[in-house]
This record gives sequence, structure tokens and C-alpha cells, in this order.
Amino acid sequence: MNLTTKRTLGVVAAAALALGSVVATSAQAAPKSVTLVFQNAVTGPNAGLGADELLGAQTALYEYNQSKPAVQIKLVMADDVSDAATASSVAAGIAGNAAVIGVVGSCCSTATKASFPAYKSGHLTIVSPSATNPSLTDPKQPKSNGFPFFHRVVPTDAFQGLALARLAVKGVTAPKVFYVDDQSTYGVGLKDTTAAALVKAGVTISGKDSVPAGTADYSSTASKVISSKANVVVYFGYYAGAAAFKKAIDLAGFKGTYASGDGTLDGGFITQAGKSDAEGTLITAPTVPFELAASAAVLADFTKATGVASPSGHAYVTETYDSINVFIQCIKEGHYTRSSIQNCVQNETFTSIKGSKFSFTRYGDVSGGAPVGAFTIKNGEISYLGNA
Amino acid sequence: MNFSVVQSQFFPLLINGLALGFIYVLISVGYTMVYGVLRLINFANSEIFMLGTFATIIVSRTVFKFDINSQPSHGMKLLIVLLCCLLAAMLTSGVVAVLVELVAYRRLRSRGTNRLGSLISAIGTSIVLSEGVRLLTHSLPESSPRVLSKFYIFTIHGVGLRIDQFLVIISGALFFFAVDRFVKLTRIGKAIRAVSMSEENSRLMGINLNRVISITFLVGGLVTGAAAFLYETVYETTVFNVGFNLGIAAFTAAVLGGIGNLRGAFYGGLTLGLAEEFFSAVLGTQWKEVTVFVVLVLVLLVRPNGLFGEAIQQSRV
Repeated sequence: MNLTTKRTLGVVAAAALALGSVVATSAQAAPKSVTLVFQNAVTGPNAGLGADELLGAQTALYEYNQSKPAVQIKLVMADDVSDAATASSVAAGIAGNAAVIGVVGSCCSTATKASFPAYKSGHLTIVSPSATNPSLTDPKQPKSNGFPFFHRVVPTDAFQGLALARLAVKGVTAPKVFYVDDQSTYGVGLKDTTAAALVKAGVTISGKDSVPAGTADYSSTASKVISSKANVVVYFGYYAGAAAFKKAIDLAGFKGTYASGDGTLDGGFITQAGKSDAEGTLITAPTVPFELAASAAVLADFTKATGVASPSGHAYVTETYDSINVFIQCIKEGHYTRSSIQNCVQNETFTSIKGSKFSFTRYGDVSGGAPVGAFTIKNGEISYLGNA
Repeated sequence: MNFSVVQSQFFPLLINGLALGFIYVLISVGYTMVYGVLRLINFANSEIFMLGTFATIIVSRTVFKFDINSQPSHGMKLLIVLLCCLLAAMLTSGVVAVLVELVAYRRLRSRGTNRLGSLISAIGTSIVLSEGVRLLTHSLPESSPRVLSKFYIFTIHGVGLRIDQFLVIISGALFFFAVDRFVKLTRIGKAIRAVSMSEENSRLMGINLNRVISITFLVGGLVTGAAAFLYETVYETTVFNVGFNLGIAAFTAAVLGGIGNLRGAFYGGLTLGLAEEFFSAVLGTQWKEVTVFVVLVLVLLVRPNGLFGEAIQQSRV
């Protein structure tokens, strides 16, 4: 063979090899089962959030299994206690397990952010149903965002902050707002966007404080609320802190509007604050109640899958259902490896429970946005008011 | 800095600070009594407190069938419920404190282990207790039912004294007074003081060292249990690690006042409670820990034995 022939054969062989690898990638041999991880707050002060989201995961998985699929999905629970230190070590273990091809979670931005280093180094795709802190997908923060592996099906707190600012002062004459954050990634992020929206709207900020999550004694902050003569108090944090703070300001004699973000949207808030103290609290959350989003057939599946009569009062069930279904669609299309799943999640278009189409932006946010809901506590139960 | 809040809310801040301070005082007594006789920090004291808070909740829920939405009690029933909860918390904490001494200290002491061994043993016991409760409760916080209606005893110009805060301040003062008198005036109290001055001489004088040390742990545990009950009366919540921050604060109070000195624990606890409340109000709660520890370091720089460590050395436990 002369040199030209050799070169031609070499090019053909390389092309064949490349083509073969492409074919092999797009039509991987189907395994009997694949593993997804449900990382969430299973225990700890915010375990109620994890328990609610699990209902959505169970429902989506139940429907998938009902279709008698060739590839079974194992859903493994991982408890991050919605705590940064725990989440980082839990995530390292998950990323190190080669069987895991995707993660649904976490509920909370603090834990989600702490998980990024492990998932980024493990090239593991994450889809969160409820982590709303803007920095998680902020292109200007390349070291701390989750690019390119983090995705979420909810709008960020940039949107929730606007809605919370509107809802908190709605119908209040000459509002004077006092706000408190819990020093968490989530709480501080939501505070920043809400406070900016309040200032922009010309609302008087009468005072503020920053109290770490886990504090039991809010008495000095309650004194500050009374001293500031605020008629609206906004709490940025999770429901355990929101409940303790609400009890403290009620005891101090506060009579105005109490509002909070989606970290408070949990039955645990009512249990811990007590019905009378929780009553009337206004809450925003970028979620649509499952009972409004799901068809009758899906609601029936919900009860069969979870054993819970109604999804009413359980937060982010809809979004968790959609998050799991992102992975389910990819698996149905024949994606069984981490890299393949990542390509699928990054590039495909998915269908939500309501039938609308969605995809993810380059940095992992849901394209086209999603509504932010308004809720209140009425007669000891969470009640949906509509869009905030 | 927000000084206007001190002007307009001075009395509520004072009352809140005193209530918190008396809880610190009682927990500090647990630390300081053990330090007095063993010259060791009982790291498990924070878990002894935590178990007392759970005992309070368990009794109110299971014995008296209260839940988070129950109406508060009144009259004789209220008195019975409060006394039963107090006794349950004190007994639980007292018994656990004695067991901690038996398990974590006595055997090591009888074998002549150095202090470091006992310290590690106490830390280990603390972790076992805390993690045990964490597993049992799935790390979930538990709310205490409101047994006592939180009404104001009196109100003048919009400021008043709430019944639960009044209860904490009066009970805290009485418990401290009782322990102080017990140590000062009783025969066993004299034995405790003798052991704290010289273990060797006490033994030569015929004092049963093990018995005295057990009683010291028991008294410290009972008082810590009372603090747990009072804490639940005011804050109505607990969790497996509730004792961690409170324990650090109470230990700080003991050091501030002069550890090993009962009255030092009293003044240290009240100083810390008031400082936390007023610093939080003026500077913001995020500065509370920083300012408190800056004050502690400054005090120790000037008075290494704490505020009252040297002044009443002779009346040390």
C-alpha cells in the first residue's frame, strides 16, 4: 500500500471508530435497573419539607412502575438534614457510588449548595424541586454555583422576593416592615431580594435582625419589633425558626401581619407555633398545590402510592413529581449513564404535570419561569390563595 | 447600633435577660459543683439538661394528655401539672447525672486515670446521650404544650411582667438559695466543701469520697433539671442538641463568675443573660456571641479567676 492509501484507510478506520462509539452511546445496552437518589431533609428541624417532597417522588415512581418498564428505577433516600455540613459529606458518598446516575433534591438551598463540590467532581446531575436561592445558578459565581450539573424546576427567589414583598404589605395602610433572616443561604438570599423589592416600592423598613437558625430565645428581637412600631413582620428562614419567632412576637404583643417564604410552607409550622399563633400567617412559595395541578387519575395514583388521602397542605409535591419525571423521561429514552443523563437533562424538553413544556437554561434554571403561589394559615391548615 | 430600643424596651429586655440569666445560673451550678469537687468539667451536663427538657414534655403529653393545641390549665390542676413536670425533669436529670458519674468518672478515678481520661470519658458520654436522643427523635424538634397561660401579672404604661418569666425568676432565685444554703449549712454540704478544698485530707477525716461525689452530681443534676423545666415553661421547645449552646453559655457564665464558686455562677449567669439580651437589642442578634465572648476574654484578662473567683475563694463549693 502506498502512503495515500494508508492515510485513506486510517481516516476511514478512525471515522468508523468514532461512528461506532456514537452509535454505542445513543443505544446503550439497557440495564435491569438504575439508581436515583432522593437527597432531602429526612430528619432534622426541616424534615417536614423532605417528607412532603417524598410524596411527589413516590407518586411519579409508582406511575412509572405501573407501566411495567424494562428498566427498574431504584430510589435511594439520602438524609442531608438540610444542613450544610451533613449535606457535603452525604453528597460525597453519593457521588462516589458509581451506580447512582442522578439526584433529586435537595429541598433546601443551604444543603444543595454544600453538595455542589461533590456532584460537580462526580459529574452527577441534580434536579431540585425547591432550592430557590439565586446564587445556585448565578453565572457570576462560577465557584459556588452548580453549573453545569445543577437544575431546578422552580423559579428563583428573585421572583419569590418580589411576590413576598407584594403579599406582605398587601392591604396594609402605611406599612412599616421589620424583617429577620436566619443566616442560612436560603434565608439571606430571599431577604436580599425581598428587601430590595420593598425599598423599591417605597415601603418603610422600620427594623431588621439576623438570628441564627436553631435559636429558641427570640425575646430581644421581639422587643425590637415592638419598639420599631412595625405593622408587618417578615421572616426569612425555615418553619422551625418561623414558628419560634411567631410565638415570641405574639407574646410580646405584636398584632400586625406576619409573612414568610416557602421555607415556612409546612404543616410543621402550625404544629410548632400552635394553631392560634400560626393563624393568619401569609406565605409565598413558587409551587402549585398538587391537588390543583394533577388530574383525577394522578390524584388517585397519589393516594395509592403514598397512602395519604389528599396532597392538600403538602408543599412542593408537584415540583418533586416533575423533577423525578425529568429523569424518568431520560431513562425511557435510553440514557443510563451519568454523562448521558446530563446531556439529556441539559438539552431535552420535558412535560410538566400540567402538560406544559419546559427545559433548562444553560445555568440550570427552568426556562419560561413558573408562578409563585400565595398561601395562608386558616383554621389551622395551609390554604392556597392563588398567585401572589 | 440601635440605642432607642433600650430606651423604649428597657423593662421587657431586663425581664427577658433576668429570665434567661436565671436559667444560666441553674445550669452553671451543675458545672460549678462538679468542678468544685473533681476539678473537672462535666461535659455531659448539657445533655443532662436536654434530658430534663424531654422529661418535662413527656410528662405533660403522656400523663396529662396535653398537646400543642390544648388550652392551658388553671387552678389546682395547673399546680399539679407544673409540680409533676418539675419533679420529672429534676429526677431524670438527677438520676442521669449520678449515672454519668458512675460510668464516666468513678471507675476511671478508682483506677488512677489522669484527668485527660476523665475529660474524654465525659465528652464521650455527652455524645452518646445526645446521639441516642437524636436517633430516637429523628432529629426532630419537639414542641412543649402550653400548660401555663402566659398572661401579664401587671402592666404599667404598656410594659408588664409575664407569669412564666416571673416563675423563672422567682424559682431560679429560690433554687439557687436552696443549693447555697445546702452547701453552707448541712453536714453533707460541709463534706462537699471539704472535698473541694482537699480530697486527701477529707479522706483522712473519714469522709466517704465516692458518696460525696455522687451526691454532688445528684444535686447538680437536680438543679440542672429544674433549669430544664423552667426553660420549657418559657421557650416551649427542645431538640436533641438543645443543651449544646445553652451548655456553652452556662459554662461561660460559670467561668465568668469564677468556676468552682457557687455565687460566681449566680452572678456570672445573670451577667451573661442580661448581656446577651441587651447586646442583641443594641447591636443585632448576629453580634450576640461575639460581644459576649469579647466581654469574657476581657474579664479573664483582668481577673483570670473570673469576677468572683478570688473574692469568695473560701466559700467555694
